[in-house]
Amino acid sequence: MNDGEIFNQLVDLQQNGIASCLATIIRTAGSTPREIGAKMLICLDGTTYGSIGGGCGERQLQSAAIRCLLKDKKPEILDIDLTVDLNVKGGDVCGGNLSVFVEPFF
Amino acid sequence: MNMISRMTDLLETSRTFCLATVISSSVKDIMPGNKTIVLGDGSVEGGTGNNRLDGLINKYAIQALKTQKKQTIDIVQGLSVFFDIVAQKAKLVICGAGHIAKPLAQFARKVDFSVTVIDDRSNFADPSRFEGCEVITDDFVVALQNTNINTSSFVVIITRGHEYDTECLSEILPRKTAYVGLIGSRRRVGFVLEMLSNQGIPSDRLKDVFTPIGLPIGAESPEEIALSITAELVCVRRKTSVQAKKLRSVIGI
Repeated sequence: MNDGEIFNQLVDLQQNGIASCLATIIRTAGSTPREIGAKMLICLDGTTYGSIGGGCGERQLQSAAIRCLLKDKKPEILDIDLTVDLNVKGGDVCGGNLSVFVEPFF
Repeated sequence: MNMISRMTDLLETSRTFCLATVISSSVKDIMPGNKTIVLGDGSVEGGTGNNRLDGLINKYAIQALKTQKKQTIDIVQGLSVFFDIVAQKAKLVICGAGHIAKPLAQFARKVDFSVTVIDDRSNFADPSRFEGCEVITDDFVVALQNTNINTSSFVVIITRGHEYDTECLSEILPRKTAYVGLIGSRRRVGFVLEMLSNQGIPSDRLKDVFTPIGLPIGAESPEEIALSITAELVCVRRKTSVQAKKLRSVIGI
């Protein structure tokens, strides 16, 4: 999904009264699957659109987004570290870290 | 109307813009999430309401549009702003609606190009063969004259004959493009380029043409060739045409 499709989807969700978080990669260091500017939408029911790189990073983002929608209700910066041990089952395959701006839309 | 709807409207009219979002702030009355849209012509929508800071945001946004670089900048102490470049989909124009065009249109759509297919044969330029694409059945020259081609346009020339290739290229090469690729044997391609050179197209511009077309993956079937062309398009869009040319030079093309 490109930026235009993400924004169209976000407008659609807002028009249907569905709360969601817009997540945008704002910083990267080392090897990350997606570049700065990559976007993803996360709804309360777990539906997602787009991708910030898949895997554990996205799982972490999903929990943060749902916490943001239910509890904090304000934008936040989420730092995701993908440098965990490669031998760990379910560990990420990339070696960098990234910051994601998570913004709720109600 | 909120900023998100405004952005979708701008993208509808195919405007590229910088979206500046405050991501952290200890400045009074400026909250994270605050947005400014800055267009290439310098016009501004939204903003923080603080004249001095808005001035700085606009300055960095214009710079970001020039360099096409997305980045986070601490514009003053305690105020970080993410400068994003938001652009419409890149456009791919395929001249020639034959066997390669069909998988090429499909692959290119999957990787986020908006696709236009041109052919003068109505049985080939048939919308049912090109789902989700704009299909133009007309002479190549007329169709290209009516098609907006600019620095974010990718053009692939895979017509059925060298005379059509030449026609298409004489329409396209005088305009600025992101990419032009031409299929064909060395002999056919050499002939076409020579004709264009005789027509007065500068040799530097002729060197921009990717030919033979596609990344060298040994493609043979129409689908494989379409894949190798798509890979080249992605390389040019994400990186540069310099990188795409380097990949070819590795095997001596």
